[in-house]
Amino acid sequence: MLTKDDLTRYERQILYTSFGEKGQKRLKQSHVVVAGLGGLGCSTSLYLTCAGIGHITLVDCDCVELSNLNRQVLHYEEDVGEGKPFSAAQKLAKLNSSIEVTPVFKKITEHNARELIKGADLVIDGMDNFKTRFILNKACVAEGIPFIHGSIHGLFGEVTTIVPGKTPCLACIFPAVSHRQVSFPVFGVTPALIAILQVTEAIKLLAGFGSLLTGRMLYFNGETMDFTFRNLVKNPNCRVCGTKGV
Amino acid sequence: MGVKVKLDPFLQHLAGGQEVVEVTGHTTGECLEDLESRFPSIKQQIRDKRGQLRSYCCILVNSESTYPKELTTAVKDGDQIDIVIFVAGG
Repeated sequence: MLTKDDLTRYERQILYTSFGEKGQKRLKQSHVVVAGLGGLGCSTSLYLTCAGIGHITLVDCDCVELSNLNRQVLHYEEDVGEGKPFSAAQKLAKLNSSIEVTPVFKKITEHNARELIKGADLVIDGMDNFKTRFILNKACVAEGIPFIHGSIHGLFGEVTTIVPGKTPCLACIFPAVSHRQVSFPVFGVTPALIAILQVTEAIKLLAGFGSLLTGRMLYFNGETMDFTFRNLVKNPNCRVCGTKGV
Repeated sequence: MGVKVKLDPFLQHLAGGQEVVEVTGHTTGECLEDLESRFPSIKQQIRDKRGQLRSYCCILVNSESTYPKELTTAVKDGDQIDIVIFVAGG
């Protein structure tokens, strides 16, 4: 049920014909897990909060560092040293007190990933490494939860929406990526842009309108300002979602 | 008619901005060697010091994964090889 304040706060998006009050109610009833509160996760959680997602869980195991502040827009100078989920949750609560924001200061592992996302309607990829992305991908497939993948490097970024049982998963696309952690260059604008695309996908998926980036990877090249696509193919022998998978 | 290699956006600046490069070869490995001979900086990006394909680099033929035969999959004229780079930052 939308309150009078909800109708006022979300008035301009409710005006969007294929969304309307019905779409807003669906967002209000939704639970989204944002995995990672870095460049991608800060911007995704900010716009999920603005949009009125009823419950947002923020998961990260890192503390804010000064070098994060060129891109992680929910963390301020005064937050250096603070756990990222707490820092982000404080800002989001001030932005929209009508939603529930749950900070979880934990490392996502093979052992706890399914428990962390259980019951969610959607998981948003805000990770900064291969290993945890693949853990989340596997957990989402096992739980049947859509996973909106985003990743960036410098001025390059990519987005796709993974719907278990319907689309290729990350392991279909990248069967053998090693887990070596590498430092990467990044401008703040790149995760911001990719995050906005992830939230656009999230709103459509949760409210049930429009078409999604399912079975397609969208690439952004900020050097040339090109947006390109690649069709993705499900791998029947995928170690995660194929016949030998979870 | 040869084999087309579609470059990941991340690699295109290393080939003068081209998205698709036509190469020759009977296997994915031969085609990549032809590509690398013309654009050596691509080799530095997709191979490690031992010449092995980097693990964040995936090779598709006609949109299908070649794993674990990334360099030995047979190709013929008209096929398309995609080089896909997985960027990990967030």
